[in-house]
Amino acid sequence: MKKRYWRCFVCNDIHCGIAPPELCPTCKVFSAYVEISAGEARRILGGGPDVTMTSAEFRAAIERFTAGNEFEVNPDAEKAGMLIEGIFANEANHGLKYCPCRVRSNEWEEDLRIVCPCNFTIHETYKGVEDGECWCGLFVRRT
Amino acid sequence: MATLLMFHGRECPHCKKMMPLVEKLEEETGVRFDKREIWHDEKNADLMRSHRPALAPRCGGQLRVPAFFNPDSGDAMCGEVEYEKLKAWALNQ
Repeated sequence: MKKRYWRCFVCNDIHCGIAPPELCPTCKVFSAYVEISAGEARRILGGGPDVTMTSAEFRAAIERFTAGNEFEVNPDAEKAGMLIEGIFANEANHGLKYCPCRVRSNEWEEDLRIVCPCNFTIHETYKGVEDGECWCGLFVRRT
Repeated sequence: MATLLMFHGRECPHCKKMMPLVEKLEEETGVRFDKREIWHDEKNADLMRSHRPALAPRCGGQLRVPAFFNPDSGDAMCGEVEYEKLKAWALNQ
């Protein structure tokens, strides 16, 4: 069975395997891994830009990621489509799937925090908010 | 009246929603916003980064768009807001 790549959305640990770990061994968060491309894994670990995951594959990956969580991909198709377009433009132009609604600081560690999906569950737009969402609105709390 | 800055992203839906409100405000009040796109123009991103000390505290500690900024006073506002809130902020500059 072919191994794939996974990134912890909290601490950016990279996992290579046939399935993501249930528990992140570094930050101890459950259901924290989202599938990424091999190219993205390499870039996070210090490589260069090469887009290898299509937007449809990314969409499928975040759908699977949200299936185990209290949030979902925004059902507003127009909004989600625009954001994914921006995420891919940012990956093509700047190397990683940066949030279209924030700006890179040009500090590597800090900028990993705005790679989509980011750890929005700690942000003021989501944490403790009944109809919370991530800053850009790609992920919304399930109702 | 000072020219205000608006930082926005081309693929940011909140920015897209705010743009007609900003244009309406400009038409109604004469306030002017210098609109800077920050993901497809690195000079604009640099400009936004240069104002981080003023912007980040109003944007959850990060540089987020849409963001509105008065370079003269250092006052800033962040996010998608209602027209009246935008107007009140802009006219208070």
